[in-house]
Amino acid sequence: MIGERHISIMGLPSSGKTTFLAALWHMVREPGANTELSFDQLSEGNYEHLNALAKRWRFGSIQQRTQVSGARAVTMRLKDTDGRKAEVSFPDLPGEDFSHMWERRELDKGILETLKAPLLVLMINGDTIKMPAWVAEWNALSKKMRVKPAAKEVVEWKAEVAPTQVKVVDLLQMLMSGELKIGGRRLALLISAWDQVEGEGETPAQILESKLPLLSQYLKSGRDPWTWQVWGISAQGGRYEDPDKNESFAETDRLRDLERASDRIKVVEEVHVGSDITKPLKWLIG
Amino acid sequence: MATQQLTCDNADCNFASDGKCVEGYEVGGCPHTESLSLEDIPEVEESITPPIQPETTIALASGEALDSDDASVLQRRNVARSIGLIAPNDAGKTSLIAGVFDLFQMGSIAGAQFAGSSTLIGFEKVCHLARVASQTSVPHTERTSRGAEPTFFHLDVYQEQIGLISVFISDRSGEDYLAANDQISQTEHFFEIRRADCVTLLVNGAQLADSKLRHEVKATTPQIVEALIEAGTIRKGCRLAIVLTKKDSVMASKNRERIERDFDGLVASISVNHAASLGEVKSFVVAASPKDTEHVVRGEGVADLLRYWLQPNMPVASIDDGELPKFERMIDLLTDTGVKK
Repeated sequence: MIGERHISIMGLPSSGKTTFLAALWHMVREPGANTELSFDQLSEGNYEHLNALAKRWRFGSIQQRTQVSGARAVTMRLKDTDGRKAEVSFPDLPGEDFSHMWERRELDKGILETLKAPLLVLMINGDTIKMPAWVAEWNALSKKMRVKPAAKEVVEWKAEVAPTQVKVVDLLQMLMSGELKIGGRRLALLISAWDQVEGEGETPAQILESKLPLLSQYLKSGRDPWTWQVWGISAQGGRYEDPDKNESFAETDRLRDLERASDRIKVVEEVHVGSDITKPLKWLIG
Repeated sequence: MATQQLTCDNADCNFASDGKCVEGYEVGGCPHTESLSLEDIPEVEESITPPIQPETTIALASGEALDSDDASVLQRRNVARSIGLIAPNDAGKTSLIAGVFDLFQMGSIAGAQFAGSSTLIGFEKVCHLARVASQTSVPHTERTSRGAEPTFFHLDVYQEQIGLISVFISDRSGEDYLAANDQISQTEHFFEIRRADCVTLLVNGAQLADSKLRHEVKATTPQIVEALIEAGTIRKGCRLAIVLTKKDSVMASKNRERIERDFDGLVASISVNHAASLGEVKSFVVAASPKDTEHVVRGEGVADLLRYWLQPNMPVASIDDGELPKFERMIDLLTDTGVKK
């Protein structure tokens, strides 16, 4: 028995945390799935939430936003290929909890213990990374295109307009200071929506450097004791439908037509592409 | 109507408990009894303070620019470099602070990697008006209020072979430093300059390009240095960076050559006049937050300045050998790329 392992999944709103959990729960229980971690047995816990997530995922429906009030504890009993068992718990925290840490500079006491987990999954939606853009370059471009920028009222600064990488760096710094400081931690950095990013022909590490250079520098500098690795991950494989909007996409139908539901998943480690969504967790658990 | 009840002031009478007068009087006829009105009973003030709810949140660090106490605590954590930024005449101090951070947003600078910061909210605020998200078409930054205590921006920087260095950049109103020209006693408040490893004096390039303003800039800039040295505020052996800002305005000016002469003259006079006090005088030209990138690259010259800030101070003894501090001519710095030849 490896033992009990608490893994917290972090990420700003819409970073793909719940979809990751849904795909993971499906895959570890899918008969014949070839994964580094697999399902061991059911425990006493309630699996209603996980089953509901996995069901929507199999249907090809987007996940509902995680309830804003508090964490939903999710526990899985898994075993590795050597038969060593681990009970892994993931609190399904809403992304708003993390954006409030940056914007309001406060932390809900209810998630304090969750954020003290020594093993962390950090998800960043690769398709919605907000990068800084500067007026000087914008003006030069407008001039080149002979377009006069429209006069607009200046927008006051708000914390929410900050670039993604600044918010994420500060979140990680917060986890290494004050009441959240527990010493060294392992961090699996997952760049989600990889199906939207892979067209750029870069590896996850290259995307980290080109689209999130401040985060890349912070992690590489080693100022804070993170042991980290980056993956690209597509837990859906493509676009899912919103049943509340009666959406219907040919792309989603193509995903449904795949032989196994887990064939939709794409996990990229450097140049290696696979579908084993448990790999980052196995790396975390060790 | 108020309810009334009788009480007896005879200590031996139990009228209040058994309703009988110890002296045998009828109720109401006893001379020892008196009526007590409820109105006579003082009202007890009810507390209007709501019950104290247990705190459900934990306050996290503000992320704003630091006060001097917080900066002092952080300075003890790593090897630190304190930068005393003096920017009279709207010389672009906030733009420079923002420009350093914004360069890190794109990657490492001059071999130095961003390693962390306690003032990310502060940096983001000063960067805002140079960003497209502000919807402004002319990048500019707000000025620091006169008379306010200085604050400090913090950056941790990692360099191979050297390791981690914490940089603290002070932010005080330029008018406060100008006031030292009027009253030298003002300098006693400038503790951020006394503790600086590198004092950085900004010279407004746009004002040097302006015929009406240039003489004022040429006159007041050396006077500030003189006042600070005379008062002992700039430590002996301290490095001085003199930075010509707003390179985009300089490059676009028809008076460019004159600006070069003015700036070089200014640097030369400070170097010569204060050779015995200063460790080194070095000049820089920057375009930290230009209006456009027609003549300059955004952030041009900032990497060189950061590299200088990160350098260790020279031992004080080495400046006592009579050798004049070295300085470079501005014309050598105004290359196309802003990189020294």
